[in-house]
Amino acid sequence: MIGYILTPEQYEQVQGQYFATDIFFNCVADINGVWFLMLSQQDIVIIAPTSWVWVLTLPQGEYTPPPPPPLP
Amino acid sequence: MPDFGSFRGFSEKLAQGQTPTQLGSIGSFVFGFDADALAFFNRVTTAGGSLSDTEKTAVNTLVVQMKADGTWSLMKAIYPMVGASAAACSRNLKSDDFNGSFSTGWTFASTGVNGNGTSAFMNTNYIQNNDTSVSTNDFHQSVYINNFVSGAAIQGVFDPPAGECLIIPLRSGNLTMNSNNLTDVNVANAISLGHFVCARYQLNSLQYYISGVSKLSTTNTPSSVKSSLNYYLGLLNNNGTANFGSASRIAFSTIGQGLTPTQVSNFYTAVQAFQTTLSRQV
Repeated sequence: MIGYILTPEQYEQVQGQYFATDIFFNCVADINGVWFLMLSQQDIVIIAPTSWVWVLTLPQGEYTPPPPPPLP
Repeated sequence: MPDFGSFRGFSEKLAQGQTPTQLGSIGSFVFGFDADALAFFNRVTTAGGSLSDTEKTAVNTLVVQMKADGTWSLMKAIYPMVGASAAACSRNLKSDDFNGSFSTGWTFASTGVNGNGTSAFMNTNYIQNNDTSVSTNDFHQSVYINNFVSGAAIQGVFDPPAGECLIIPLRSGNLTMNSNNLTDVNVANAISLGHFVCARYQLNSLQYYISGVSKLSTTNTPSSVKSSLNYYLGLLNNNGTANFGSASRIAFSTIGQGLTPTQVSNFYTAVQAFQTTLSRQV
């Protein structure tokens, strides 16, 4: 899965923030602890005309998940 | 224009002393919608969403049938996933409580909502411990899946003192659900689509159903503690971290009081009719 790559500072800027009435940013850390933001095509359309458009210019990369802990 | 009291023409302005609720009554009267269904339509509109006439008809029929079956009053949150937008799909049909919010990563369509199984979740804002109508021996969760993607929990919460409440339709050949217990109960299963219900309706008893058919009825003692964390769709709320998700498509989800076998059967019939009207049944 391809995602946008964020610095720790960028993560702090976006995590949990709403860019539409009922949609907020949620980032996940990869196997190396790097923050990724996975957006759907619909997210991109909604974000593009907003002040959050800068996230769409972030570098992209392949997200590798960390090993999952056992299901609780 | 004659004054017919509460039957004034719909297009007429309010007269002095009239209240907007009278117009609401007229709207319901003119279009024949159930009051709770109409309230949901208004919530969707207020949130910025919209519903087709077919969706409104389907929702209205569902509500009327659930009230006739006696299952409506047992629900706390009903997410019919209609309207193909976050604004519409986040609205609770049952009431103005527990309207949800979506994270990034979802795709909304007339057929339901798809997360990405990795980072996409909907926070229902439902906290079991804040719900005085349920107990750990009187609780249900349900989800209708009409497109399966291999993964983990399609919805749920894990709060260690309360155990898990979750639904995993198909994983390693098993149906895994849980309701306020630390230990999952697995049932051999090959079905990935349909209406999945996990219910407790009597003391120390646990039931699983797929599309109205019982898959498990067993003695199982739940925790005495209810969960204090928010219930998620798309990912598990794993003790405060959203993970263990599924990218399967959700076309309906509910949380509420326990359901008897008869109630589950009636519930499935109503939900299946709803999905069929929307041409998204499985």
